Amino acid sequence: MIETFFGQGALSTASAHLAALVIGVFFGFALEQAGFGSSRRLAGIFYFRDMAVLKVMFSALVTAMIGLGYLLGLGWIHPDQLYFMPTVYGAQIFGGLLFGVGFVMSGWCPGTAAVGVASGKIDALIFLGGALIGSVLFNELFPIVKSYYTWGESGVLFVYDAMGLSRAAFAFWLTLVAVGCFWGSEYIERKKSGAGLYWNSPFLRTFSTALVLAAVGLFVVPAAPTGTAASFSGAGEHASSMSQTANASQESKLLATVDAAEDHVEPEALADLMLAGEPGLLVVDVRSPEEYAQFHLRGAVHIPLPELAPRLAPNKNVGTIVLYSNGMTHPAQARDSLARLGFRNVFILTDGLGGFAERCLKPVSLRMRATTPEQSAKIASWRTYFLPAASGSLSPPAHADTAAPFPLPERGLPGLATTEWLASQLGKPGLKILDVRTQPEYNTRHIPGSLFVSLESFRGIVKGVPSMLLPSRMLALHLSQMGMTPSDLVVIVTADKPHDATLAGMVFERLGHDRYAILNGGFNQWLTENRPVDSVLPAVRESVYMPPVSADSFTVDAAAVLEAVQQGGTVILDVRPEDFYLGKKSDEARAGHIPGAINRPFSDDVAKTDTIVRFKPVQELQAAYAKLIPSKDSRVIIHCRTGHQASQTFFVLKRLLGYRNVLWYDAGWTEWAARPELPIVAAGAKAQ
Amino acid sequence: MKNTTVSSVTTTMNPYLAGFLLGLTLLGSFLFLGAGLGASGGLARMAAQIEGALAPSHTLASEYFGNWGHTPLRYYLSYMLLGTFCGGLLSALRSNRIQPQLERGRSASAGLRAGLALCGGVLVGFSSRLAQGCTSGQALTGGAMLLTGSLLFMVTVFLGGYGAAYFVRRQWDD
Repeated sequence: MIETFFGQGALSTASAHLAALVIGVFFGFALEQAGFGSSRRLAGIFYFRDMAVLKVMFSALVTAMIGLGYLLGLGWIHPDQLYFMPTVYGAQIFGGLLFGVGFVMSGWCPGTAAVGVASGKIDALIFLGGALIGSVLFNELFPIVKSYYTWGESGVLFVYDAMGLSRAAFAFWLTLVAVGCFWGSEYIERKKSGAGLYWNSPFLRTFSTALVLAAVGLFVVPAAPTGTAASFSGAGEHASSMSQTANASQESKLLATVDAAEDHVEPEALADLMLAGEPGLLVVDVRSPEEYAQFHLRGAVHIPLPELAPRLAPNKNVGTIVLYSNGMTHPAQARDSLARLGFRNVFILTDGLGGFAERCLKPVSLRMRATTPEQSAKIASWRTYFLPAASGSLSPPAHADTAAPFPLPERGLPGLATTEWLASQLGKPGLKILDVRTQPEYNTRHIPGSLFVSLESFRGIVKGVPSMLLPSRMLALHLSQMGMTPSDLVVIVTADKPHDATLAGMVFERLGHDRYAILNGGFNQWLTENRPVDSVLPAVRESVYMPPVSADSFTVDAAAVLEAVQQGGTVILDVRPEDFYLGKKSDEARAGHIPGAINRPFSDDVAKTDTIVRFKPVQELQAAYAKLIPSKDSRVIIHCRTGHQASQTFFVLKRLLGYRNVLWYDAGWTEWAARPELPIVAAGAKAQ
Repeated sequence: MKNTTVSSVTTTMNPYLAGFLLGLTLLGSFLFLGAGLGASGGLARMAAQIEGALAPSHTLASEYFGNWGHTPLRYYLSYMLLGTFCGGLLSALRSNRIQPQLERGRSASAGLRAGLALCGGVLVGFSSRLAQGCTSGQALTGGAMLLTGSLLFMVTVFLGGYGAAYFVRRQWDD
């Protein structure tokens, strides 16, 4: 079985480009050898003067058609390794007419003109100039012609299906037509211009016979073990099974399957099968192309619902087909429709993509229920497999090397990124740099391609408490407007306030977006290292960032903190400056701190040299916190006044030091001080 | 001997053999790339690159070219078009067929021929975007795959061509 660049999703790799270049050389060579470097010759067909175009085109088409028939029939290549262009009736008919007019006017088409330029034809150069203008014109008029561009969009259609023939039968008839055209062309040329060199020549007789015999051979190509050959005689089969849809016993069989939920596959089971590279498993994403582009299960193919039956025909009753969407309704309906068409191997993913994300991909740390070590290991392996790439388009398993273009910064994600690492990643797709400095600072100069965001746009009044991180659906909306997708690798950049970066980090924590890092040393270090900056606003295309199904599991409210105070066993870390903790200073209703809270100012975790603020070395932080918190599994609640400074300690403990049970009291002292029923250790009193 | 065109006809390869080679090339493209041949795609990428150089933000914001990002030329069909040029050059060198000329009928004016070549180019550039391919990408490739839309495209190209042939015939008058 041959794996093509297309099949591996690797058409944009350097090796595919090289292959395309080499194929192009052969293409150009054959065109020029055919004499297609001459517009006079190309136009000849329209005046019945020189039928070379017909002869060459038809010979090439029939050769490739027969060859492809054998390759598919013998199972050397699977249809899913090939790119089949969709049929768009309106656009292709109207486009074809226009193209024909342009072709006869100029005597060129794009491929032949490239060859024409190579052989010195000035008219070919003029034509190409015109074609460039025409392309630009199309782009400029696209808003107007868009509806024609998709007019009559019908998915991948095979002409033999439309005619109710088998592939072999149609190929045979087309070959006969081609041979007839060859002889007809020679005859016309003989009559018109005394040419027709090959009329009744031994060559043409041999060539014609060989083509017809090869076409006949397609009838006897054995059905490939993959069922490929069978699929290509699809039309007849469809028709016959369609006529049976009224068959009551079939319907009751179908309903029995539905009743027994035999048509479902559980997310965990699917994840394991995909991870193991189960042969014959075809996972189909039936959501919109945009959603697919944004994220899909690694290895899944995208097929719109209307195209399912024809596109899945090759896999009918061969292997296993699993359909998924966000939910279950569409796949279920599609499965039933396919079952009526005779498909017996179609399953739907229980709970859809949402369920898959929740059950397989949700980090252990965010789960309500404790997981066993085996479960955790499984989840970790699923996460690495299904959430690997920085870009939304994930490559199939065979190309693990292209799937992970990002060497991870320092200690994995979420974590810290070095300026050196970031500099090496600039411009890579899927990398989003988030600049949280002030707007004037950003506007003056920033890391090329970075997006500006005001931290305040992520915060607001929630249930009467000011300066709260907004609910996930609002955060997701912000990220959509910034063109972010869940698979983006986000690097957050601040000037010299790491707690600004960690507050932005909380946005991603709340969304369950693990692929984020904070630039250690920030923009100031970037600048002192003379790394590239510019002042260009990047173009942003709005995306659809779906918020997670459930709320985050690390944010706690006053009631939870109060319970922790009363029951003990939880470390309450107040990370405000010491004077505020001690109540010597206050911006709030009351001064002091939560009973039992210990003070570790957030600023103790970073070190400043000149203008550059960096996180202290992990070993140093490790030692400092080991004195405050009994173990990595201890329950820790972190708070400050508004949740801002606390976000930094949260990041340090959870992401740099690996504490597993870290909670964030976002409302903080602002709320605690303002609610007189909550106990405090007031100013002047001794800390307990 | 009418002119050089006739003599070049006799020196070109047997068209059936050339077509066979072209068919094998297409098969190779299916086997390695998983996609067929294409020429207008590379041309459109070039157009996007040029428009992008002249009006970067406008192009990136446009709905069609904008999808191709900052480096539209980084696409397999751009490389294929470059290869096509190189292959043509190799073949023309080998057969000694490189001759700078504006090919036209002897009694046709250069202006007429150049004008028609330009207008035809604009039409072809536009319509190949509309139809998502040209004679290579739709007619030949899709035709060999027996795709309905591609075969319809091929038929309508010839319909359009024969329909307009009469009106542009003067450029080939000898």
